[in-house]
Amino acid sequence: MPAVKGEGMRGLAVFISDIRNCKSKEAEIKRINKELANIRSKFKGDKTLDGYQKKKYVCKLLFIFLLGHDIDFGHMEAVNLLSSNKYTEKQIGYLFISVLVSGTSELMKLVIQAIKEDIKARNPIFVCLALQCVANIGSREMAEALVTDIPKLLVSGDTIDSVKQSSALCLLRLLRTNSDLFNMSEWANRVIHLLNDQHMGVVTSATSLIENLVKKNAEDFKGCVPLAISRLSRIVTSSYTDLQDYTYYFVPAPWLSVKLLRLLQNYPPPDDPSLRVRLPECLETILNKAQEPPKSKKIQHSNAKNAVLFEAISLIIHMDNDPNLLVRACTQLGQFLQHRETNLRYLALESMCLLATSEFSHEAVKTHQETVISALKTERDVSVRQRAVDLLYAMCDRTNAQEIVAEMLAYLETADYSIREEMVLKVAILAEKYAVDYTWFVDTILNLIRVAGDYVSEEVWYRVIQIVINRDDVQGYAAKTVFEALQAPACHENMVKVGGYILGEFGNLIAGDPRSSPLVQFQLLHSKFHLCSPATRGLLLSTYVKFINLFPEIKPQIQEVFRSNNQVRNADVELQQRAIEYLQLTSVTSTDVLATVLEEMPAFPERESSILAKLKKKKPTAVKEEGEKPKTMPTAQVNSGATPDANVNVEPVASLFQTDPPSQAPAAPAATSDDLLGLSTPVATSAPPNALNNGGPPASAVLLDIFGDPTPAPPTSNNVGAGVVDEEHFNKFICKNSGVIFENNLLQVGMKSEYRQNLARVTLFYGNKTTTTFAAFLTEVSYPGDLKERLSVQLKDVDPTIEGGSQKQQILNSECISEFTIAPVLSFEFINNGAPQAFRVKLPLTVNKFLTPAVMNSEDFFNRWKSLSSPGQECQKIFKAQHPMDTETIKLKLLGFCLGVLDGVDPNPVNFVCASILHTRNQQIGCLVRLEPNNQAQMYRLTARCSKDSVSQTICDLLETQL
Amino acid sequence: MIKAILVFNNHGKPRMSKFYQYYPEDMQQQIIRETFHLVSKRDDNVCNFLEGGSLIGGTDCKLIYRHYATLYFVFCVDSSESELGILDLVQVFVETLDKCFENVCELDLIFHVDKVHYILAELCMGGMVLETNMSEIMTRVEEQNKLEKSEAGISAAPARAVSAVKEMNIPQKFKDMKLPDLPNLKF
Repeated sequence: MPAVKGEGMRGLAVFISDIRNCKSKEAEIKRINKELANIRSKFKGDKTLDGYQKKKYVCKLLFIFLLGHDIDFGHMEAVNLLSSNKYTEKQIGYLFISVLVSGTSELMKLVIQAIKEDIKARNPIFVCLALQCVANIGSREMAEALVTDIPKLLVSGDTIDSVKQSSALCLLRLLRTNSDLFNMSEWANRVIHLLNDQHMGVVTSATSLIENLVKKNAEDFKGCVPLAISRLSRIVTSSYTDLQDYTYYFVPAPWLSVKLLRLLQNYPPPDDPSLRVRLPECLETILNKAQEPPKSKKIQHSNAKNAVLFEAISLIIHMDNDPNLLVRACTQLGQFLQHRETNLRYLALESMCLLATSEFSHEAVKTHQETVISALKTERDVSVRQRAVDLLYAMCDRTNAQEIVAEMLAYLETADYSIREEMVLKVAILAEKYAVDYTWFVDTILNLIRVAGDYVSEEVWYRVIQIVINRDDVQGYAAKTVFEALQAPACHENMVKVGGYILGEFGNLIAGDPRSSPLVQFQLLHSKFHLCSPATRGLLLSTYVKFINLFPEIKPQIQEVFRSNNQVRNADVELQQRAIEYLQLTSVTSTDVLATVLEEMPAFPERESSILAKLKKKKPTAVKEEGEKPKTMPTAQVNSGATPDANVNVEPVASLFQTDPPSQAPAAPAATSDDLLGLSTPVATSAPPNALNNGGPPASAVLLDIFGDPTPAPPTSNNVGAGVVDEEHFNKFICKNSGVIFENNLLQVGMKSEYRQNLARVTLFYGNKTTTTFAAFLTEVSYPGDLKERLSVQLKDVDPTIEGGSQKQQILNSECISEFTIAPVLSFEFINNGAPQAFRVKLPLTVNKFLTPAVMNSEDFFNRWKSLSSPGQECQKIFKAQHPMDTETIKLKLLGFCLGVLDGVDPNPVNFVCASILHTRNQQIGCLVRLEPNNQAQMYRLTARCSKDSVSQTICDLLETQL
Repeated sequence: MIKAILVFNNHGKPRMSKFYQYYPEDMQQQIIRETFHLVSKRDDNVCNFLEGGSLIGGTDCKLIYRHYATLYFVFCVDSSESELGILDLVQVFVETLDKCFENVCELDLIFHVDKVHYILAELCMGGMVLETNMSEIMTRVEEQNKLEKSEAGISAAPARAVSAVKEMNIPQKFKDMKLPDLPNLKF
């Protein structure tokens, strides 16, 4: 007799068979609706159903649900089943609730009541049922109701093993989403000692629980390290008969070993001398055992054994302190690279990626290069080939870059579509990183475009242009190569873009050769023109106008193109505008002006490759660099003019006209970045002078329009004395960058600010609200405390007179030298109607303005979070919410605070985790923030961890005022 | 942690699904479809791991699966789990089902949804491995059955007697249903 088959339920069997025999989806739905109606009437009917019937109906509902139909009734019946004293009825009730009832259901109170009863039951099977239900739903309400019961159950000496096991995992489940409710530190010692439990099942569950606790609070649980090591050592040295049933296909307790090895990866290598010997011994034993001849031919035996081996290797890589073990690990993984089991090849490639990042084993990994390349070519499984690509990327260095890049390029021609884009990025990065000779780099990127043009993203071709522009030794070569590449009958549009850009800049370098004379270059490019998208055509038009400057002899032909109806009457306004403006420019201006306007692009500032940034974004785990600081995406250009890596879709040449503002519609996004370097006039607008003369809106309204602030700041009375620093509006600016910082019945001061890394540029607007003139207007910045060493502020001159009803502006440049807590004070004085006036206002330059959001995945975040655990680095605050706790609003505030909000990192979706980098002149400081809102209590818990002490405190203080 | 355990047949019909992370119902169905789509197009002797679909977690999610005769058993896990460990867990799950049902086949999963869930509950809890020792799991399942039988003996007997009388022809009906010939799941 099979263990569970027993007597089936015939009604259920018949129903399921009916469904299976349905010929069409419609028939199936009809049958299901019939059954739902039947069950509904049965549940509603007066006749009381017996346990068997209830069970049968619930099973039917479960089956219907599995097929993807909504079940909107039966919940109450299921809850009633929970309080039955019959096990079978209780069991089916719990099953229904676990599968179908969500944590927010209004029935939850009744369910929790039943659970509380069952947890106290004497029969352990009942207790386990209740715990399973809690683990399945795990709502906050449940966690609150059971906050003490479950930990007690876990550590109590009376609890039997199976219940202990379940309560450990049940607690883990609740901690994942409601960790704030539990104060696990007080249980730490007793929980850790579960690692010594007799029952292996209990130890396995406890290890899972402890690993979760360690991730949150490594310090309180660090006592688990010696216990875990000794437990592990007992397991690996035991023979397969010692652990009886916990031996799986001759491998002693493989799951537990894996979990213990994972747990140890949360801590640095142990300091204790005895542990320092014991742990490597364990690891060595595992490596040795993996080499022994198999005790069984079954795949399960090798799987279990290797599961432990791979985890041990992960730990060896994590500790990264034992060259011996690292090289051994590499050798053993090398054997798997040619193993007949695909799974092992896959995992070996994956682990080797990590080994390649360790300085001890990098060379050892490189010895397997040939094998990995052949894996790339011969593997049948795309997921394995993907791992081979990752490994080649990881093992690449200056010595083998040329070969690896060549192999990857060759493979790219036949590569799976799903991995092409990533491969293109990787090839581009390697080519740049290890280029000794930039002609090789140019060749490689052009090959990339030729082989996989569709997968070459903008970042890649922007980058090649940046490099060519910055390095005059390759410019001639690049021009020659693109010219040749363009001669192919069919070439990719990206090639036309690169070709157009480079020839427009450096076409003159190859014009001496009659085969690539100016006219030939122009005709070659123009032959591609009609096949290109409007964006590329725009770029080509810019190339043409640059040609006019480079090669005046072909001006008539080019002007002909501009003049043609295809251009000047083009439906695309951008093309039309360019054609008309370029035509005018070349017709009206003198050659001198033309030469200035169309001058060669200036060199781009050096910075992180935007391709690398893109790869990180696409695949955060793919880029692992030793001690790498979280870097930021280049979101805006710092250089004047649109740089090729502009995130906005501005054609690179569009900013030719940076000196000619009226015609630079496409270059508008670049204008803001110009400001930062002070290269062009600021974007600030001044109030139209006729607004008042016309008896129009009062001056303050005009000012407010500029700032787009719908709620005017209430004018403060005039008696704000010179000695008092006005900070009324200060807090409003912590999360925003423009608005009114001071206002009384004489004067309104507005501010607009922009920040780039450690630099700030602020425009101050002084509006005279009276009808009389302010004379001797003077402003000054003062630095309270030691602020002067931390923040430099330079005020540009301001006009000393402000006429009645008019506005004057002043530029203020600032640089953050090191982190600071106090804000500078701006004082201004003037004479109005013969009376001297003086005011002081706290300038809203706060340290968070110099943050730049960073992007990272969950693993990186928590690794960094853990590494910032010394007492000074952390600051935590718990406080009452001052504003409504709406998720979107909070998110906007965090973004306004210049924090990068990371989605999907915190296991609890209600919480926010953020990462940013504080840029100062002296250093970059990593800042991680976690915000846990508690809606019921209207409270927040805010935790900040920063790589520099005291910054956490400042960040918390500032952010608290905003929430 | 294990985010979900999905069982579906070669045609993508779900046979059991268990989510350890909350997803709305329609999302659950989409995940099953997406997973089937990813897994079913793979040859039988390629590796058992692949990156998860976009719906269930993208790069931080791996699908670890085994294909037995007509059924796919897929465990969706995050990066904190050992791939081979989970692969063995799939095996333990199926072997346990096989012991409980004696030569388990697709029909067993359909007709005994409840039992399958109970067995799984002994193996995994809240997305973590609860017990891996097959004899321990069997003991617990049998304990439950004993309880069930003792209760059935008292109360359900009359009801079943009645329904048996009412539907005398059932055995015949079963034979007429022409169920497809289902091979047992092989290891």
